[in-house]
Amino acid sequence: MTSPLKPPEGDWWSQPVNRRESIWLGLGAVWSVILFGWMSVWTTAGEQNPIGETYRIESEAFREKLSAYKDAATETDEGLVPPGTDVYIQAMRFYWDGAPVVLEAGTEYDIHLNSMDVQHGFSLRPEDALSKQINLQVLPGYEWVVPMTFDEPGTYHIICNEFCGQGHRTMHGTIIVTEGS
Amino acid sequence: MAHRYDVLGLFDNEYDDEGFRTCSVTGLRIHRTVENHVKLFGLTAVVALLVGGIFAFTVATTRWEAIGLLGPDAFYTHLSMHAWNLLIFWMVFMEVAILYVGGPMVLGRRLPWTKVATAGWLTMVAGAVAVNYTIWTTSAPNEAPLLTAYVPMPVSPWFYAAACLFIVGTVIAALPFFVAMWREKREHPGKTLPLVAFAAFVTSIIAVEALVGGLVAFAPAMLWRLEIIEWVDAAWYRQMYWIIGHGTQQINLVAMITVWYFLTHVVAGAEVVSEKVSRTAFILYLFFINLGAAHHLLSDPAVSTGWRIWNTSYAFYGATFASLIHAFAIPAGIEAGRRKRGKGGGLFGWLTSAPWGNPVFSSTIFSIILFGFLGGITGVMMGQLQLNMTWHNTFATVGHFHATVVLGTTVAFMGLLFFLIRTMFRRQWLSTRLAAIQPYLYAGAMGVAVLMMMYVGILYGVPRRTVEVVSNIQGTEFDLAAASPLFAIFGIFALLAIAAGVLFILLAVGSLLFGKRIDDESNVSDLVADGGLALAEDPDDPVHAYEMRGTFVLCLVFLAAFVITYLLNWYLLTQLWAIGA
Repeated sequence: MTSPLKPPEGDWWSQPVNRRESIWLGLGAVWSVILFGWMSVWTTAGEQNPIGETYRIESEAFREKLSAYKDAATETDEGLVPPGTDVYIQAMRFYWDGAPVVLEAGTEYDIHLNSMDVQHGFSLRPEDALSKQINLQVLPGYEWVVPMTFDEPGTYHIICNEFCGQGHRTMHGTIIVTEGS
Repeated sequence: MAHRYDVLGLFDNEYDDEGFRTCSVTGLRIHRTVENHVKLFGLTAVVALLVGGIFAFTVATTRWEAIGLLGPDAFYTHLSMHAWNLLIFWMVFMEVAILYVGGPMVLGRRLPWTKVATAGWLTMVAGAVAVNYTIWTTSAPNEAPLLTAYVPMPVSPWFYAAACLFIVGTVIAALPFFVAMWREKREHPGKTLPLVAFAAFVTSIIAVEALVGGLVAFAPAMLWRLEIIEWVDAAWYRQMYWIIGHGTQQINLVAMITVWYFLTHVVAGAEVVSEKVSRTAFILYLFFINLGAAHHLLSDPAVSTGWRIWNTSYAFYGATFASLIHAFAIPAGIEAGRRKRGKGGGLFGWLTSAPWGNPVFSSTIFSIILFGFLGGITGVMMGQLQLNMTWHNTFATVGHFHATVVLGTTVAFMGLLFFLIRTMFRRQWLSTRLAAIQPYLYAGAMGVAVLMMMYVGILYGVPRRTVEVVSNIQGTEFDLAAASPLFAIFGIFALLAIAAGVLFILLAVGSLLFGKRIDDESNVSDLVADGGLALAEDPDDPVHAYEMRGTFVLCLVFLAAFVITYLLNWYLLTQLWAIGA
């Protein structure tokens, strides 16, 4: 009895499994372990991981940090030059406060992300290579510190990729990466 | 006898004194109560498909910015209507029908608690109408909810209330199914359930988990919008929301696989090559598939790395392994079953001799192939912690779930409806020729549209959920215009797919209204697999002893595509600058 519409009779558990199905089960199991192993190993051995420290924070408290950071930063025509390696960016409907910001290639920066109001998406790519793009969720109530080291100078564009309201499509910012000194 | 409200004569099959009839295609003994409720839920699903499909047109022609139909004020409302009617209402009404088929119908029982089933349907309809109303009447300061209604975006509290009503209705409608299963096991404690009934039972458990998650997310959000509670945390809402947000998609998946086993058996003579292996795969789903919801939180700040890796891997890829099992077991069932019927010479004779002109068969096969190659593989890609950064909230994500829910589930459900029109509503298709080509048009066009969605998302970083980003981003010189050529291909094929969807609705509704009534059983004999279904019941001719080498070759091709796609995605990721601790 091998109809999916009829109850199997007798000891169906002990029915033999076709050899090719057994081989496929083996291949599937090995592939599953590879998928898991590679993802896990990359968190320590790889350079690209959506991993960083997270802190709970009220939007106003983050604004104060951002404001102190802006006071310490240098204003230039191209944008803010941060005083150290901490960079603060707060998303709000419908712009990225803290951008444009001028960073150096080859330096590791801690990017502090937070939202003032609703959920936003931090979607970043260099101007001349659109396929090099990453996307991070930005939430109110959380400060996410994601380290980044840009290896190539250029203009990197931030677009919001989480629906945040009628003006969502206009929400854009830039990160200018210059040659490292 | 037709009911006095049944003016179209859609619920008037003849039954014996006990209320049963025997289906000449499946051989199932069908009770009036089950059949009429399956029809009711199936018809309602088609209405949702129609409504959602209309908005597919406005959404696709807006995203194709060369047309740019709608502005931002209308677009998000239309997108919300599209999402709720197709991702939720079309699917869930069909799934309740599938539970009734997989449970009481396959078991040859009547539907217990029919008043509860009807009450569930009424509640679901009320919820669905209310969700549509609250979306359509969105006004400032509220925003359209889209599918997710993410807190703290202001969304109408009545939207959350309507969504809860629909969820409660679905649970009510599922109760008669559970009662039927309970009674079956009480009456026959030692008897194993048929595979389709077992699969339907697994589907129902996954469904209830998902639905309860929806209440946990939507009810507090509603209370917050009514200012009864002060604050709902955005990260907490996301985690609760995705229990239903992704969980409902897992119902689609398991219900679809149930339909695959059912239809490949009936129309192509497939058999279960190993009860043990296929049932184990469903058990793996039961434990692990809902962990897939974690995919949505991989690029989130608030959940730990360990949590993300464990959950997104479905606990060591337990559910991916289960899907790999079905990927072999179902085609192998077709291959071995057809070889047994003398329809399988050479490596692929079992496929070339198959009834490709029967839309029930072709829909099912396209669903299996396209779900696997396009939906399943990409789901694993975006479900990897690191690769997710390149997929998250891009148009490629939209491509992924159109591959699963449209190319997979919708195509399979369309095949099922073609089947139900003949076997339950007992009407001939309005045009056999148009019915035969519909799956080719729909799956073919949608397949190309879906590939383009993925390419523009991954290769050009085009975001989802926006009206204007390719040709112009207001306030900056920067744009994503490089993606325009692929968007043109997307637009053309999306429109072709919508046209094929319209053809389906015309065929379905037209057949019900104007199709020739089937009075003679020979008029449905073309649906039955070569050699009939009784062959599957011969204990001296075990199916596992037949060759499965064609399936093995196809599965190796599938695995190769999987590995290549995986390597390409990782290659793209390693081109990026250093990110993360």
